Amino acid sequence: MPVWHAATREWVKSGRLVLLAVVQEQHADRARLFAQWQGLGWPILHDPINILRLLAVPIPVAIDERGIVRSLRPDLKTLEDDFLNKTFPDDGGGAASLTPKPSDIAALREQAQSNPATGWRELGDALALWGGPERLDEAIACYQRAVQLATNDGDALFRLGVCHRLRHETAGRRPGDFQAAVDGWSRALATNPNQYIWRRRIQQYGPRLDKPYAFYDWVAEAAKTIAARGDTPIALAEPPYGSEIAHPLKELAQPEAPTPPDPEGKVHRDEKRLIEAEVAVVPASVAPGQAVRVHVTLRPSRDAKAHWNNQGEPLRLWVDAPAGWPVSERLLSAPQPREAETSEARRLDFEVQAPPDAAGSARLRVYALYSVCETQGGQCLFLRRDIPVEIAVRK
Amino acid sequence: MAKTILPLFLALSAWGFAMNAEAGSYAPEIGKRHPDFTLPALGDRKPVSLSDFRGKKVLLLHFASW
Repeated sequence: MPVWHAATREWVKSGRLVLLAVVQEQHADRARLFAQWQGLGWPILHDPINILRLLAVPIPVAIDERGIVRSLRPDLKTLEDDFLNKTFPDDGGGAASLTPKPSDIAALREQAQSNPATGWRELGDALALWGGPERLDEAIACYQRAVQLATNDGDALFRLGVCHRLRHETAGRRPGDFQAAVDGWSRALATNPNQYIWRRRIQQYGPRLDKPYAFYDWVAEAAKTIAARGDTPIALAEPPYGSEIAHPLKELAQPEAPTPPDPEGKVHRDEKRLIEAEVAVVPASVAPGQAVRVHVTLRPSRDAKAHWNNQGEPLRLWVDAPAGWPVSERLLSAPQPREAETSEARRLDFEVQAPPDAAGSARLRVYALYSVCETQGGQCLFLRRDIPVEIAVRK
Repeated sequence: MAKTILPLFLALSAWGFAMNAEAGSYAPEIGKRHPDFTLPALGDRKPVSLSDFRGKKVLLLHFASW
């Protein structure tokens, strides 16, 4: 992208060329940060659900004044002569739209009743693109209906996953949203293993053994560079963590086993569920010899008005796997903010590899130890939460 | 307008947005009109269409930050 930006800057500045970008990512704010970092001043559109049905990126397309495609993946060296300086005939035929507009939602709802086979998916698309966080429940319900009617509708499955992940990052999240996202993406990819936009969404959260690159390792550098310029970096609602910034790995190294922090289970259990725990396994199942990334999200219960006690011991996570299942880290811990009490989500993730002869499923014994306050300024406790993790083995 | 979306999807190959080996995937065809689309802009989320730029030469870049 920076190459295209540099090569076309003068043409764009002089009005000879419009650069229009479409970004295929889950998070709009991360794309905005990237654009801010790279100084991309042209319009960038967001297609989180891949409604344009791209199989992979990047794809540059040269389009003339009449909207007719003149070149795919054009050569930058000849773009001026072959495209900018040329006049083309109008030979392109009709035009139509691939996407719904915000004003289409009501009509699409009617269409879903009369033509449910694709109608529910199309209504889900309109709601996912234009409805905002407050209509994610509706979008999810539409995609679920679409998938019930056509179980192999990869588009609907992928987009269902996108919406679950979007909702997971809002105040309206439901337990299991992250795993439902991974399940949707995994089922979609099973219908078309050549769909790299779908594959990348799983790999973003997946194990290092199946990563093509670190997805968001650029974020820290971008924020630093922008701040050094005297600007304020665009704030990220969900800063990337763990797997999202991890680099690919060829072999899972087994670290020396540390001492379990509560081997006899003496720490009191969090019976009141002051801390909510959610687990997602990425991908949704593991093939023998392959690895999965296990994400554990812990956040203080809003119902209980609980808070992290940052003056107590930091959050730790202990992982016990069955014999023959290597684990990337047995003991993980989360950093604590400086404030005495906070209520943010804390995310920890690790990898586990299935043995070559794995079958059925495996159960990991995972527990978290944390310092939590029952209410702000209330009683603070050191508690344990047992978090069973089930990993399904696929054939 | 929305009622026309389904027939338009089905008619993609007829007006030049060729289906490639992966059924229904993005495959613009040289010499054919690029289908229009409307997506939210980063930032203000306002709808922006490819057709908004009709009359200008456009380099459409599909990308991701990774």
